[in-house]
Amino acid sequence: MSFKDTIKAQRHNIRDYGMYVAFVMIVVFFTITTKGLFISSRNIGNLVNATSYIAVLAVGMTLVIVIRHIDLSVGYLAGALGAVAAIALKYWLLPLYATIPMVLALGIVAGLVTAFLVAQMGIPAFVATLAGWLFYQGLLQLVTRSTGTIVIENETFNALGNGFIPDFRGLEILPGVHKVTLLLGLVAIVLFIANEINNRRKTLAYDFEVLPMNMFILKLVFVSLVIGGITWVMAGYQGLSWAAVILIVVVLAYSYITTRTVVGRHIYAVGGNPEAAELNGISVRKITFLVFGSMGLLTALAGILYASWLRSATTIAGRGMELDAIAAAFVGGAAVAGGVGKVTGSILGALVMASLTNGMNLLGWDISIQYMVRALVLAAAVVFDVATRRMAK
Amino acid sequence: MTETTAVVEMRNIKKHFAAVEALRGVDLELRHNEVLGLVGDNAAGKSTLMKVLSGAYIPDEGEILIEGEKVHMANPLDARRLGIEMVYQDLALANNLDVTGNVFLGREAVSIELGPLGVMDNHRMEQEAQRLLSRLKIAIPSVRLLVERLSGGQRQAVAIARATAFDSKVIIMDEPTAALSVAAISQVLDLVRELKAQGASIIIISHRLEDIYGVSDRLVVLRQGRKVHDCPVVGDLDEFRERVVAYMIGARDDFANAAVG
Repeated sequence: MSFKDTIKAQRHNIRDYGMYVAFVMIVVFFTITTKGLFISSRNIGNLVNATSYIAVLAVGMTLVIVIRHIDLSVGYLAGALGAVAAIALKYWLLPLYATIPMVLALGIVAGLVTAFLVAQMGIPAFVATLAGWLFYQGLLQLVTRSTGTIVIENETFNALGNGFIPDFRGLEILPGVHKVTLLLGLVAIVLFIANEINNRRKTLAYDFEVLPMNMFILKLVFVSLVIGGITWVMAGYQGLSWAAVILIVVVLAYSYITTRTVVGRHIYAVGGNPEAAELNGISVRKITFLVFGSMGLLTALAGILYASWLRSATTIAGRGMELDAIAAAFVGGAAVAGGVGKVTGSILGALVMASLTNGMNLLGWDISIQYMVRALVLAAAVVFDVATRRMAK
Repeated sequence: MTETTAVVEMRNIKKHFAAVEALRGVDLELRHNEVLGLVGDNAAGKSTLMKVLSGAYIPDEGEILIEGEKVHMANPLDARRLGIEMVYQDLALANNLDVTGNVFLGREAVSIELGPLGVMDNHRMEQEAQRLLSRLKIAIPSVRLLVERLSGGQRQAVAIARATAFDSKVIIMDEPTAALSVAAISQVLDLVRELKAQGASIIIISHRLEDIYGVSDRLVVLRQGRKVHDCPVVGDLDEFRERVVAYMIGARDDFANAAVG
């Protein structure tokens, strides 16, 4: 098989590869223009922490968009739930282990309320969640009115958004490098390669086509290098942050559920053709409740991460977050028509958008220019998306 | 179960929507390994009757027997559990999923049983789908192709393959040849013959009388919610067409005496 044929066979994956290439180009561009400051361990650590809550929202938003809906309420809901967490810790004196489950549960309830309006009352999600956007904005103002910004003093809580995982003590090798982070990176690479090889072996055993060997090895090397590189950079500062750990867990759980489980398949089926799903015994109503419930849960998590990162709950927390999450999902390949969009794509989308902001900040670009650049990237990503999809047909 | 018992027997099925009497007491029988053509003008009640049989509508009156057993169906899932599969006119396929995903939609094979969180056994499903397509002699390059990239005939084939995937007793096809190219129509008709050769019992609704003539053993004509004709498909095509049209437009009626009001 010639290289051209290989490319042709892979053309339905061009969109995915294009995203990775674009991301690498952005990273390289800012690394050069900031003379390495962008790729410095410290900056990457901050970047990940500052992206984590948007990325968590983007994961939930992807599924909402896949089932042909949208959720505009998540920004202020995250803000309001962060404020609830702050109040619970500071004024109700609830312990942390009670506060976090309570806030997560409240998030799920809020998500189910949205689902009730959409699935049960038949209100378009745009309108239902616009109402939620107003409501939670009001709620946030109400709960923070008497206090203004609430400073959170619980250090364990604040560590979620700012802290780093502990390192081995007393090891002399590699001073200044976070050993546990390196070890985890290594484990990740080994697991990735083992999983890929196992998959390939199984697929071959069933006589199905696989990537040609050279492409397969290229893929393994490329992904291993990326994981290794990120690990090395992060290990150079204070190691993996707790926010990054939480984000990784969310991404792994959600990509597993969406790609490997029955319910994941059903979510995409509902997005692709709700009538067909219903005729095949899949309850569109149940899936809608599930997806909005999960959105609520992730919104609560994002609210906790954000409040923790700021060490406080502010009166405008969450403003605009929903639009950042939606933009991340669309940059990551979700389609408005529904049925299309991957969890991993949206994470990449969130990283692309956050890298742009971060890089442009480092370069001292004016905020007005920053908005316009991000607009162009969003538009370009969607144009690329539409074009590759048309080409694939 | 004997060969003389009909696979499906519908007795005196009545169904109305508001003031409209869609079905006014229809009897219908489908025998083993038989292809039954169901025709009628628009609003004659064919689709309504088939939606009753596939569990989408609950009849106001009448009873349904599957292999001699009286059954009650509250929804399409009930019908499917009884082995009644419907191939819908609008195909009911999810374009964003691949061929395998569509064949197993709602009935995914799992390697770890965990309810909705069950882990799908993709390899087994792909292999099964492949086996099914080759058994039915359906030409689709890969079961991993997204359905949105298939032609109309291939999509119809996938929909039919899905209906046959789970040891169904009865396959109902609603206008399987509508909106297809001439070549695709002959593919679908070949597929119907292949299914019959493998022992399936099939009901086909179609406006295209030559398609019915080409594959059916027996023909039922509905008109204004009543059965007006029920007999084997015999004679040449022109004579057949003339006779069927006469029943469809109401010029002839075999069951006029049985009709009440």
